[in-house]
Amino acid sequence: MFTTGTKLLIGSAALAWIGAAVYGVAQEGALGTIGLVSAAVALSLLAGINTFVRDSNVSATDTESFETSAAAQATARNSLWPLLSALGITMMALGMATLPAIFILGIVVTAAGLLEWLVQGWSERASAERAYNDEAREVLADPLELPVAGAIVFAVIVYSFSRVMLGMSTKEATVVVFSVLAAVVLAIGTMIALKRNISTPVITGVFSIGIVAVIAGGAIAGLNGEREVHEHETTADLAEENECGPEETHADDKASQTVAAKSNPAATLIFDGAALEIDQAGDDGNSETLTLPRSNPSNIMFLNESDGEARLVLELHPPVDESGVPISIERICTTLVEEGGRQFMTAEFDRPSFALEDEGVAYEFVVAGTDASVEVVVP
Amino acid sequence: MTESSPLRSRLRTAALVGVGAVVLASCAQDAPQDTWDPAGSEAQRIHDLQWPIFMIAGIVGLIVMAVVAICVVKFKDRGQPIPEQSHGKAWLEYMFIALPAVLLAGIAVPTVATIIELNDTDDADCVINVTGQQWWWEYDYPIAGDGSICGYMPTGETGTIVTSGQMVIPTDAKVVIRGTSRDVIHSFWVPRLNGKRDMVPGGVHTWNFNANEPGIYAGQCAEFCGLSHANMRMEIVALDAADFQSWIDNQLEPYQPPEEGTLAAEGEAEFVAQCARCHQVDGLTDADGNLVVAHPEDQVYSGAAPNLTNLMTRNTFAGATWDLLVEDCRDEVWDAPADEFGPLYLEGVTDECLNETQLKQWLRNAPAMKPMYTDAELLEPTDGLVRGMPYLALSEDQIDKLVAYLLERK
Ligand code: HEC
Ligand SMILES: [Cu+2]
Repeated sequence: MFTTGTKLLIGSAALAWIGAAVYGVAQEGALGTIGLVSAAVALSLLAGINTFVRDSNVSATDTESFETSAAAQATARNSLWPLLSALGITMMALGMATLPAIFILGIVVTAAGLLEWLVQGWSERASAERAYNDEAREVLADPLELPVAGAIVFAVIVYSFSRVMLGMSTKEATVVVFSVLAAVVLAIGTMIALKRNISTPVITGVFSIGIVAVIAGGAIAGLNGEREVHEHETTADLAEENECGPEETHADDKASQTVAAKSNPAATLIFDGAALEIDQAGDDGNSETLTLPRSNPSNIMFLNESDGEARLVLELHPPVDESGVPISIERICTTLVEEGGRQFMTAEFDRPSFALEDEGVAYEFVVAGTDASVEVVVP
Repeated sequence: MTESSPLRSRLRTAALVGVGAVVLASCAQDAPQDTWDPAGSEAQRIHDLQWPIFMIAGIVGLIVMAVVAICVVKFKDRGQPIPEQSHGKAWLEYMFIALPAVLLAGIAVPTVATIIELNDTDDADCVINVTGQQWWWEYDYPIAGDGSICGYMPTGETGTIVTSGQMVIPTDAKVVIRGTSRDVIHSFWVPRLNGKRDMVPGGVHTWNFNANEPGIYAGQCAEFCGLSHANMRMEIVALDAADFQSWIDNQLEPYQPPEEGTLAAEGEAEFVAQCARCHQVDGLTDADGNLVVAHPEDQVYSGAAPNLTNLMTRNTFAGATWDLLVEDCRDEVWDAPADEFGPLYLEGVTDECLNETQLKQWLRNAPAMKPMYTDAELLEPTDGLVRGMPYLALSEDQIDKLVAYLLERK
């Protein structure tokens, strides 16, 4: 009598009508009622059309074809998708009680399961011929399934790799292990390339073993935990400890690895061994002071053209509290910059220069251990 | 089909009206931000480039349209048999590649040259730091090694000049701005003097201006920057050498407290109490004689509020969006011929010319005039700091006093 699609639509329409009535009475909300009534009308219309075209297989007036139509034929086959959807819904329920991440994953899994189910259900009724139906499903689902599956496998492999790398006891061990691994991969690849007639099962076997090994390694390494990662001291630590002197400190080790944006600085300060020179767009070396805006970070490039290492230091003269203790860091500095090296420094001034005059001080860039300095005017 | 077909004639009228509207729009008289009307050497360079390119593009466009029209008419389906379908015509295709390539290469050469010229900051006569923030521009004038400011030696006292809204420059001088932003990306654009330059936080971006004649050149922020982006305007005011010198000297004059017992003196106390936490007035002291230092960094999200030391020397306020002058006085200055402009501008805002209505409206409730984020309950994302000037619940009495005080700031 009624096809599956019609049953679904009639059921939904009925539900929407009941919902509209219940909502309208209980909530008296005009907007919600209008929405539900609209949905009910639309669903009823669709149900009507569907009844007439019998799930778009044969027309309701074409009674002869009823028996032979695809809709009347196919019996649903076993399917994994209901299971996946159920899993998803369970995860959503679980997620609501535990972690939001599980809930979100549940939504994704449920959606994926329902979508696949939908596609399979549709394909099984595409025609009375099973092989044709299978192909129809593949045509629709493959472009979606394959990339997603590939991405998942890829993500798992990458994640496992990273766990293994972080799990190695030393950096050297990582280098050795991964060099060997890369060599093995290359060797296997070469072999496959040379022996043209290797059978598919062999290749599949090799790859499966490889992937399982990576995942297993990742799981073990992940459970073992990461190795201790050494934290490098920075110039911020120096500033905190008021250690912006000319001596080399632990933070200056590998200072050239310091990364920073190097374009569009407010000014470049060039140290030639004796003095600091200002290089700034617009003035051709005729400035003696640097004018930098107030309460805005300004980026200064320090260029060391002397023939030794040098450190640029900025005296910030922060305001002091009642007991005379500075309320913020007193000075900031670069690391020791090698000959010919350059480094960025970001400075922000909270008080205008004239507010410092009473205290008899000024903002000043100095090169640690020398007399080279440049005054900063903050308007 | 006859000439008098009603549909046809209606279509023709519509087309005429459309074209007419476009043509008439190009004759706009009061268009202070007209890119086709350059008033400085940088804008002239852009104009000299865009005019021929526009012509070439226009001619190419016309040819394409004409060919399309001919094809539509000539090969219209009249039931004739479909002609033989052939594919590809090598010489035509080579030509279609070569011709545009040659054209584009021809355009590229002067374009790149102009871009390089526009960005050249060597041999500047004057340097000004420009800082954008929601929703106004701040200008400060650094002091050069020889003590000059923007190429001019102050006659009296010296110091740094900080202004907002209107950037005053000397005419016939290469002015280089070093711009940045305190919050989001803004773009500095004064069409009659130069193109746009984005001001990105963290970087310093230069741009050049060189005005031929004294006058006011209007502009506006050209990078969407939040609620009041449309109210973030600016003006460049160009003065000739003598007038610019007076402007510099006037900006640097020491602070003059209002005479005791006047309304303005009461206004000063009010200002210290209500406004000085955000707005700097250079030289202002409190009742104990201590310098009053504004601390906008813990009040306003961008960390700045306009310096009001010489507010009444400018003639617009709050992102150059409202006039400090009443309409007649405004027109007199803005429409003045180049040779009379300077002295008129230097007069600043006089008692008779003050646009009291809008200034008071601003003090009464600034966010009502200019949409800003100042609702204390919605400021969590900005650490409780306001964007723009907040509503301060001042009484009319307080406002009168403040206006009297502000009127003397010049
Ligand atoms: C919380 C900080 C704050 C306080 C307090 C404050 N203002 Fe403002 N004011 C601002 C900011 C920010 C602007 C810029 C707003 C804009 O243009 O978008 C501004 C703009 C102005 C302007 C326009 C200035 C110009 O050059 O364009 C005037 C005038 C002004 N304020 C007067 C006052 C007066 C008078 C008081 C005291 C009653 C006061 N303000 C209190 C933050 C403040
Ligand atoms: Cu802006």
